[in-house]
Amino acid sequence: MGLVTFTFMVFCIITLFIYFIVPKKIQWVVLLVSSVTFLFWDNFNIGTVIQALMVLIPAYIFGRLIDKYYDTKKAKRFLAFGILIILAQLIYLKYTNLFLATFNHIFNLFGIKYQFGLVYRNSLIGISYYSLIMISYMTDIYRGTCKAQKNIFKCALFMSYFPILTSGPFIRYDSVGKEMYKEHKFNYRDMCYGLLRILWGVFKILVISQRLGMLVDNIYTNIGIYNFVLTFLAVLAFPLQLYTNFSGSIDVIMGISEIIGIKLPENFKLPFFSTTITEFWRNWHITLGAWLRDYIFYPLQKSNVMQKLNKKCKNIFGKKVGKKIPMYVSMVIMWILIGFWHGGAYTYIIGSGLLQFLFIFLEDILSPVSKKINDKLGINTEVFSYKLYQVIRTYLLFSFAMIFFRATRVSNAIEIIKSMFTFNLGILNRKVILNALGMDLYDFAILIVSLLTLFIVQLLARKGSIREKLFKQNIIFRWGIIYSLIFSIVIFGCYGVGYNATAFIYGQF
Amino acid sequence: MEKEEIYERLNNVFRDIFDDETIVVTAETTSKDIEDWDSLEHINLVVAVEQEFGIKFNMNEVTTMKNVGEMVDIIISRISK
Repeated sequence: MGLVTFTFMVFCIITLFIYFIVPKKIQWVVLLVSSVTFLFWDNFNIGTVIQALMVLIPAYIFGRLIDKYYDTKKAKRFLAFGILIILAQLIYLKYTNLFLATFNHIFNLFGIKYQFGLVYRNSLIGISYYSLIMISYMTDIYRGTCKAQKNIFKCALFMSYFPILTSGPFIRYDSVGKEMYKEHKFNYRDMCYGLLRILWGVFKILVISQRLGMLVDNIYTNIGIYNFVLTFLAVLAFPLQLYTNFSGSIDVIMGISEIIGIKLPENFKLPFFSTTITEFWRNWHITLGAWLRDYIFYPLQKSNVMQKLNKKCKNIFGKKVGKKIPMYVSMVIMWILIGFWHGGAYTYIIGSGLLQFLFIFLEDILSPVSKKINDKLGINTEVFSYKLYQVIRTYLLFSFAMIFFRATRVSNAIEIIKSMFTFNLGILNRKVILNALGMDLYDFAILIVSLLTLFIVQLLARKGSIREKLFKQNIIFRWGIIYSLIFSIVIFGCYGVGYNATAFIYGQF
Repeated sequence: MEKEEIYERLNNVFRDIFDDETIVVTAETTSKDIEDWDSLEHINLVVAVEQEFGIKFNMNEVTTMKNVGEMVDIIISRISK
């Protein structure tokens, strides 16, 4: 069930209606029934039921055991068991082909003719999300951040909370999980705020992202046909397509949860205003970054191995440089894991992993150099023009890395880069351009206007909540804006041929 | 150990880690107040504080400490044990 479908809309209305009319004590049961229905909606069979239970049961049992033996060696063992079971299943279901393909490559390199056949694994929606969420649940009990949930059905609700299954955000038991079992009164303000956020998300997805998708898909699948200007355009458009699709989905999810009365953590903070890639990743898919930081990066950095490495490096390279080396080692591991999270193909490991690390690494080691250069040349770095240059540079670097992310294979990405730097203007008339864009002038005009709207809204959002500002306005203006949003979705949304509302770019991860 | 002494020793640790002799921490100081205090440097800081006071923070404390005041509270609870 896609997020922007009629079925999902009806599903949410029914859920919310029942949620607010049943006795408050059993509200969480309504959420559980809806969540389980959503989880198995497209994929219900004995295999998928076992898959879900194979995560729920270990997380529940080991969670309770870790709690019982808190602060003992046994607790550590139980945590390790629990994580191992969930992780093994996740790897089996999501990454078998990656390993098989890697073996095939190695066989090829050594001239071995044998090749493994790739396999199809039927995995449940949201498997990566709920697996990692349950790993963090057990780890939090181990760390003493929270107590284990004694009711297995409540535990199941935390694991399968339906709004977040398609695109996140990552939730924590201590902050969000407990909210699910609380009683929630219907709140008119929350409903208005939630609905507005849902509308804005749908606008981003249907009006902007889908339209950008036409252009990006067309140029990416016909590399070499179009000249470098148009290839550049597709490369620059893709991050925006991804952002409007992903953050739009998050808006829909947050809106639904807000109406229920459960506040989810923000996943984006205007990433395209970032002045460095380091800052960009603090504002993009924030909850994934926080998950990796708390459950991988910090424990790794604090581990005895890393501390020993830290000491050795400090002795050899001095304090300043020495302490950076273990940090970079942990970062490489983390960025490779981010590549794995996105699907594990080499394109993801390079595009959303290693290249991002490379940029952050370069930013870190070059910042003293660039500071010196700026000082010598007397460049003022605190002015608008310099910030603008930094914002554009960050966007360009991110777009470059995203070529790998979007391309079907690494060789495909290299072809695109070659095409970007083959300065052949070729024939560049109106017909060719429109053909490349995959849309007519009317659609192109809508795209430009909607992108401008997005830009203005984001500029305003930098100075505080837009929804609060809007709801303070007079009724005519307020409803004028809301109706414009609704009508623009209905009239300008892309529902045409080839449009697949369930094809969320981020849903596949 | 008096709180003042703890803050004094913490100042030295912070100055050393962030390479800035002007740092003076208070209970309200957070990572937002110190430019280089990001998630990358956080563990270096935590380990340096651990070594300074001969204590260990657990992972829950490492990830949930909100300001220097909370850090000092944990230090006091550990060294008074």
